[in-house]
Amino acid sequence: MKRKVNSEKAFHAFAFAVLLLLAVICILPVGLVVIASFTDEHTLLAQGYRFLPEKYSLAAYQYLWKQSAMMLRAYGVSIFVTAAGTCVSVILSMMFAYPLSRKDFKYRNLFSFLVFFTMLFSGGIVPSYMMWSSFFHIKDSILALIIPTYLMSAFHILLIRNYYTNSIPNELVEAARIDGASELLIFGRIMLPLSVPVIATVGLFTGLAYWNDWINGLYYINDPKLYSIQNLLIRLMNNIQYLNSGAAAGAISGGISTLPSTSVRMAIAVVGVIPVVIAYPFLQKYLIRGTVMGAVKG
Amino acid sequence: MKKKGLLTLAMAAFLAFTAGCGQTAAKTPETAGSGPAQSAAETTGDYTKIVYSYWTMDRIPDEDARKSVEEAINEITREKIGVEVELMPLAASEQAQKVSLAMASGEQLDIFNTVGDLNTYIANNQVYDITDLVHEYAQGAVDQVSEEFLKTTSKDGRIYAIPADKGIALAATLYYRKDIADELGLDFSTVKEIEDLTPLYEKVTEAYPEMVALAGGAGGLELVHTFKDFEVDYLTDAWTKPMGAVLMGDSMTVENLYATEEFKGRVELMRDWYEKGYVLKDAATTTASCQETVAAGKAFSFIGNQAGNYGVQEASSMCGYEMGYVRLSQPYLDTTAVNSVTWAISSQCKNPEKALEFLNLTYTDADIVNLIVFGIEGRDYVKVSDREMEFPEGLDANTVPYTAQYSCGVVGSQFKQLVHAGTPEDNNDLMYRENHESKTSPAFGFTFDSTPVKTEYTAVTNVINQYLPGLVWGSIDPETELPKFLNALQEAGLDDIIAAKQEQLDAWAAQE
Amino acid sequence: MRADAQKRRARKRNLIYILFLLPGLIYLLINDYIPMFGVFIAFKNIDYGKGIFKSDWIGLQNFRFLFKTKDALIMTRNTLLYNLVFIVLGTVFAIFVAILLCELGEKLSARIFQSALILPYLLSWVIISYVVFAFLSSDTGYVNKAILEPAGKSGVNWYGESFYWIFILIFVYLWKSAGYQSIVYMANIAGIDSSIKEAARIDGANKLQEIRYVVLPLLKPTVIIMTLMAVGRIFYSDFGLFYQVPMDSGALYPTTQTIDTYVYRGLMKLNDIGMASAAGVYQSMVGFVLVLLSNLAVRRIDPDNALF
Repeated sequence: MKRKVNSEKAFHAFAFAVLLLLAVICILPVGLVVIASFTDEHTLLAQGYRFLPEKYSLAAYQYLWKQSAMMLRAYGVSIFVTAAGTCVSVILSMMFAYPLSRKDFKYRNLFSFLVFFTMLFSGGIVPSYMMWSSFFHIKDSILALIIPTYLMSAFHILLIRNYYTNSIPNELVEAARIDGASELLIFGRIMLPLSVPVIATVGLFTGLAYWNDWINGLYYINDPKLYSIQNLLIRLMNNIQYLNSGAAAGAISGGISTLPSTSVRMAIAVVGVIPVVIAYPFLQKYLIRGTVMGAVKG
Repeated sequence: MKKKGLLTLAMAAFLAFTAGCGQTAAKTPETAGSGPAQSAAETTGDYTKIVYSYWTMDRIPDEDARKSVEEAINEITREKIGVEVELMPLAASEQAQKVSLAMASGEQLDIFNTVGDLNTYIANNQVYDITDLVHEYAQGAVDQVSEEFLKTTSKDGRIYAIPADKGIALAATLYYRKDIADELGLDFSTVKEIEDLTPLYEKVTEAYPEMVALAGGAGGLELVHTFKDFEVDYLTDAWTKPMGAVLMGDSMTVENLYATEEFKGRVELMRDWYEKGYVLKDAATTTASCQETVAAGKAFSFIGNQAGNYGVQEASSMCGYEMGYVRLSQPYLDTTAVNSVTWAISSQCKNPEKALEFLNLTYTDADIVNLIVFGIEGRDYVKVSDREMEFPEGLDANTVPYTAQYSCGVVGSQFKQLVHAGTPEDNNDLMYRENHESKTSPAFGFTFDSTPVKTEYTAVTNVINQYLPGLVWGSIDPETELPKFLNALQEAGLDDIIAAKQEQLDAWAAQE
Repeated sequence: MRADAQKRRARKRNLIYILFLLPGLIYLLINDYIPMFGVFIAFKNIDYGKGIFKSDWIGLQNFRFLFKTKDALIMTRNTLLYNLVFIVLGTVFAIFVAILLCELGEKLSARIFQSALILPYLLSWVIISYVVFAFLSSDTGYVNKAILEPAGKSGVNWYGESFYWIFILIFVYLWKSAGYQSIVYMANIAGIDSSIKEAARIDGANKLQEIRYVVLPLLKPTVIIMTLMAVGRIFYSDFGLFYQVPMDSGALYPTTQTIDTYVYRGLMKLNDIGMASAAGVYQSMVGFVLVLLSNLAVRRIDPDNALF
């Protein structure tokens, strides 16, 4: 008995040590980005990236501060899109996955395949663009940031299906059925409450996808009022890259002196990540809810 | 059975969708004009609506700012040509893609600018054949850029675009830190070409071991441009990474640039510099611009391409040191120099005459072009003199409601525009003179249609990306790598490109 | 009689199930299935004047450039091998991390660790390329300046030596994605009935045995799904990882060129949607065939966990 407790303790300590190491490996380079954003531009170029630079500077953030009205607006757009998109997407996916997980559903293989197939083939951007912009006219509206592409993901649906099948005992559903519960009731009262970990997972994935998305904005949004934070940032970055790539050689004969410098690019990255870093620990709580199952069944 | 049913359903929906698409395209002119702009809705019926898209490096203005500029333009154009314009500024990095998407889906987009190879636009039939219209509806623009230049935007005798009117005679120019040059007593007046720099760089490196003599970056393959003093015509290829099938001097035989003794000499020189520490070890990959590197005190000089003589002032302000300059080559005009930025009418345009009339105004009407580039006077900029502007007190390019200042060399005629305060007075004259007096290639006006060798193009482009930056910045050894490079080019099909070019060139010469 | 009623009930249930599917089906139809017909673009010579529907058919010509040079072999090999390594190492690593995190449970330290592990996933590839450059730059990089040179060794020209990049790319990939991927497995482990673990413990299983005999078998379905999905995209590669992170350095092409980077580099100048579309069709076809085969295999061995 004692040996077993020791092995538990040892494993616990081992987990802690390894995770600490991994966390450091993950944080250090990111820390480097943060520090670089506070480093004086010239120092950055002359000495490279340093954890302890010779000269600090707030210039990058001052540059961004000048556009603070626009940035705040963009944060607003991003937060709204992420929240709305995630809610709708999770509900749709949970519903869709339910029949797919039922063994008594005759067409489950057909529909599973239909979902999976969307992951393999796509018609490319041109037909999607035509669909959404010419047929549904969602260009330059907030819907353009929510609806195309991200509302349903085959990956998420299959994850949920998998969770339903493997982690929610079939007897529970059968018992409810014998009690005369309707499918909607089973879904709402049994499946949903028992799915907190997978809802958290899929919600997190979807939320991150919406937060990090810039493709929809790139294609469907021209009005800067509807820029999400990523669109704002990516446009700043892309223009610099485009210029550096030489594709524009000869097009510019004026100056490019006010384009954002390296430290600004770092500051941009920091600004895009901060809200997620703040929100994440709150979400994380729901990811580990190992007790949920036991409680219900016990 | 089930699957078949589904397929039919999808097909039906698809057809409905494409039909709907046609309808909406036809509907756009009435609906899209009904923005918040005053009275626009009523007047649209009497005026033709033209959508004018342009390349911008600045912040995209928000809708209100854009509408106000549109309205100011429309006040002029309604009366002059019966047109109402909708501006569509597109971020530079997205422009080509967005134009293609808009055209593929049938959105209204009447005028757009091409950046890079005009021929791909012609080959894809994206641009309208304006041969029969341009002289009637845009003669002012033609006069402004000169009839001669329309040759560069023609194909088989048909005209497809009007080149942007800007300083096109670019000369490879070396900018160097004057303080250091003076301190070390370096005499740059003796420098006639890039080889002459070696002894000067030696002194700089000796005195400042922490500094490299020549800054460079992946984008800045300007070293290739110094071939300009060999009078090279890249025959439609991009300047920074030409395919290698070029004309040299007065010859009309297409040859492989990378197999020439001159190229070999150049990369050997760079290897020598690299080994002596005159250039950055990371030059082939760094993303920092040359100016940034100089500003950081890490480099003594850099090579840039500038038309006119404003460049040195700009370099000084960006680098934070007083810079001197010396030209490493004289401007040499080939087709690409002129047609790398052009204005074209979309092949789907319903009113090409009106579109051309508006385009004409951007070359001839100072008010219009200043509105597009700098916005509304008093709000977006203030005039310092008749020809100079600056941003209003306390504002800059990022904070004014509307500006497209970086598009100054893109939109219509640069010579009709205001300039930033402080630009030398003779700058425009010099640019204009060199545009028209510089030496021109014997193949000036020839454009190459790459369609027959598309496959080879993709392969050769990849080979060039792989080897050229390393060779040009000396980080790979030409002794072993140059032969490999040439071999890889051969395998990728460079000979086919050369043959295709020669064939088209001969046909073109016979026609001339 | 009873059988009849049962049948009717089953039919009704199937109908309700389809109602559950309906909203999602409509979305999939609009967002995925109808645009799928756009693959015809790959077989056309796009002429904007005629419009994409009326452009001329040109058969397989748009596909030619993919197989033109001996690069075809290199890029296919790279894409395949990297993906295989990513699937195997990515899964092992993600499960490893997930098990460790679950061990710490809901403790504050677990939350902090997990937040840290997911950080790299939030950075865009462009920024990551700067971070990598900060370490590997020849002139100012950490590895050369702070490690190799003080140790008396000469610096390495990292962006010129393609061999190292096999490991660099794998490391960067794991660094960026392991924390993110572990989330999937964490949810799974969290979902494991604690009474099963309890039972194992009473039977005298130690921690490692518990992982080996309780946790891992329960993760199998998820691993299968994740792997099948990865197999479907085995001809695709993360453009940012292979293009941005090596800074598009030509000398590294032998180990960094993948199908996606090749297509991008080749078509940058041509702006040809027909050829781009052809590349996509080619990648999808291969993935499709491979997934069908693997799913077939899974169905043979373990029918419950097959995807369809």
